Amino acid sequence: MPKPIAIFEDVSYQYPRSEKFVLFDINLEIRQGEFLGLIGPTGAGKTTLCLALNGIVPQFYGGRFFGSVRVGDLDTVEHPISEMARLVGQVFEDPETQLIATSVENEIAFPLENLKIPRQVIRERVPQALSAVRLEGTERKHPHELSGGQKQRLAIAAALAVQPRLLILDEPTSQLDPVGAEEVFATVHELNRVLGMTILMASHSAEEMAQFADRIVWLAHGEIVALGAPDEIYSEIELLIKNDLRPPQVASAFFHLRKSGIAVPKIPVRLPDAIPMLADLARREPNPDFDLPAPNKVTGDPLLSVKDLTYIYPDGTKALQGVSLDIREGEYLLIIGQNGAGKSTLVKHFLNLLQPTAGVVKVRGADTTEMSVSELAHRIGYVAQNPDNQIFNSSVRAEIEFALENLDFDPEEVEARTNESLETLGLVDVQDRHPLSLPRGVRARVVIGAILAMRPDIIIFDEPTTGQDYRGAQYIMDISRDLHQAGKTIIVITHHLYLMPEYAQRVIVMGKGTLLLDQDIRTAFHAREALRSTFLSAPQAVHLTQELRRSNENFPPLLTPEEIADYLTPRRMAS
Amino acid sequence: MLKFQTVERDSFFSRLDFRPKLYMVAILTIVTFAWESPLLQFGMAATITLACLAVGVKWGYIRTILLVMTPFYLLLVLTHAFFNRDQVMALQGYSSAEQLQKIYTFPESWPVIGGGYATWDGLSYGLNVMFKALTLTLVVPLAVFTTEVNNMIVGLVRARIPYKIAFIFSSTLRFFPLLFEEFASIIEAQRLRGLSLEKMGPIQRVRVYAKVAVPLILGAMVKSQQLEVVLQSKAFSGSPDRTYLHESTLKSADYALIAFFTLFLILAIYLMIVYKIGNFGGPI
Repeated sequence: MPKPIAIFEDVSYQYPRSEKFVLFDINLEIRQGEFLGLIGPTGAGKTTLCLALNGIVPQFYGGRFFGSVRVGDLDTVEHPISEMARLVGQVFEDPETQLIATSVENEIAFPLENLKIPRQVIRERVPQALSAVRLEGTERKHPHELSGGQKQRLAIAAALAVQPRLLILDEPTSQLDPVGAEEVFATVHELNRVLGMTILMASHSAEEMAQFADRIVWLAHGEIVALGAPDEIYSEIELLIKNDLRPPQVASAFFHLRKSGIAVPKIPVRLPDAIPMLADLARREPNPDFDLPAPNKVTGDPLLSVKDLTYIYPDGTKALQGVSLDIREGEYLLIIGQNGAGKSTLVKHFLNLLQPTAGVVKVRGADTTEMSVSELAHRIGYVAQNPDNQIFNSSVRAEIEFALENLDFDPEEVEARTNESLETLGLVDVQDRHPLSLPRGVRARVVIGAILAMRPDIIIFDEPTTGQDYRGAQYIMDISRDLHQAGKTIIVITHHLYLMPEYAQRVIVMGKGTLLLDQDIRTAFHAREALRSTFLSAPQAVHLTQELRRSNENFPPLLTPEEIADYLTPRRMAS
Repeated sequence: MLKFQTVERDSFFSRLDFRPKLYMVAILTIVTFAWESPLLQFGMAATITLACLAVGVKWGYIRTILLVMTPFYLLLVLTHAFFNRDQVMALQGYSSAEQLQKIYTFPESWPVIGGGYATWDGLSYGLNVMFKALTLTLVVPLAVFTTEVNNMIVGLVRARIPYKIAFIFSSTLRFFPLLFEEFASIIEAQRLRGLSLEKMGPIQRVRVYAKVAVPLILGAMVKSQQLEVVLQSKAFSGSPDRTYLHESTLKSADYALIAFFTLFLILAIYLMIVYKIGNFGGPI
């Protein structure tokens, strides 16, 4: 067994002015050369555990710290953070905040300069680090010019240049589109396998963690729940779900098969392991009662109509090119595409935040450019990614009343609508609290409640699940479903495609400012070429189905682990 | 929107070290403070404006500064025209207010201000102060926008400014655009909640902007703590005992600029003392 590179011994930690221990009795060894995955729901203590490895916890934050953390021969409490930075490289979640220089080469040089590495050595290490993350030729660029995935790879390069013994990545892909996330995982995997770099990565991406990690440590409420190989951890489906964690979809499919009575000797957690096992099952007679749900076609006059929409930014970037689509009342529409595909630009035209260079956008037959943004707010509600930028008032109630007062409703109407919104979103008990004192998930509900009070016909959710764990993301999507069922037209923009089969009916796939595909969700998620052309990848259950359809063309285009299990369960067992 | 920018144009000026540019700023500030002549101040302000445009500072930026500052400049000129008597009299050696040239007198019947008058002398002193302020406003972007931020840090450190201060200075410039973006997204979120800025008067608008402060300050605090954690993880301690990837060496063009501004300072002082050029009421 390889030697441990870092050791936690009986570590407990409490932040200043906090009543609870965020880490409790942690005993853990990180082995030389391994890829250790760190999973756990929001608030489990993952970030604190990462920060304890370079001494930022407790040296920077203070608080009560018990036990010891050693990296190499150094105790993280006894040695200054700057000394620990030689051994431990760290990459954070937000690509914007962690890049501090104004050129790529200076970003990489910054920690080396702080560590007093001679100029000649820095000059040698900058190209080496850039080559390791495949960013050669970008030395003189401003980090702002890079894409999200490139920014995270630059942050990795800056950490690598120090030649640390341990590289920590804390949710490095949570704010990236699928192609950016894939770039980061591929880079980290290569560093681990080719250079032998020891990796500790915290992430909610279950499929990738199952594929790349050697071991997984599972944290909940500051304690280690389990430690083991991905096959051991991700096959504990019920326990994962109980702890607000999402298992890989292949594991989930086999779990459902087992639950329906089919003998499954072992739950696979990776796609290549699952394919042959499922192929055996697929040869049996499938459930004859299984019917693919028919796509839900909504008819009627368009509520929102886009015709030949082209938009060119002042710097000459063509963001939209001849886009046409109609959105009907009561639809649940999903808009997908890589970053820069034109999704947000399109939606901003709905709200008159941008005006078309050519073409027209109409809401109930009225040209949006002839309406003010505040007038449109009556009809179209917009929930942005970061709830904190949408909160301006000192109580939840005032936050919900804010829009109504702007729209000049009389006091009785304001009160009635506010009460209705508070009840619908389950916010009655916290109506007098300051919104910013509430947890992130509740803050998102406050913003949705404030928008709902305006009773718009259409509600747009723009990346609502970014930065949320599985439970938080599901909670927000459930609200969107309730609103849809109450008759609202819902438009969602998200990269988290695995969440959507339960909710969306129609999918718009965008790429390079054009509309690549407009289909029901089943057709769209199985349109491999269209998704690939905008650097998207369908959820794992869809990939699994597609693999089975290669050898058996009668295998239906399924979307979810539940559908796979349902289809493969014989009638006798299904009944 | 007013925010930090680095000019895209490569020029003689953008290739200079930051230290001679700092020296230039210092000399121009001294001379601008010393001169009291509206004509020379106008010449200086016009030269600096043209220099800004020549090195690539965007006209849109200068126009925004002028738009924002115009009410302040007008107030300055009018205040001097109506109320600055003692100073202009002393500067010109007048013994009586009768020697001042009147432009306009308020009718005696007007309450409070009736009988008050504006003078040419006060007005020209006001213009002097206005151009002085414009020069001082534009000379900073002339130096800062033409320098890459990292070169600025190295230049400041070589000019014996403590590294920590140089770093804070550069971080502020780095985070300005982020704060402006955040400000814009908060205002946008308010408009999407039915707020109709276009229908509001100035006082209501100020109230709206005040509400932006809460999420903006909170966001800035979160970001600054994140930044501190990032810096710590990158071994930043603020100690000047560090190495630098880029060297900061003065070349002949840098020395030439230093020599030019040294001569300019000497000449300006000489002309002021001997020929009273630059003095208020002097020959120019």
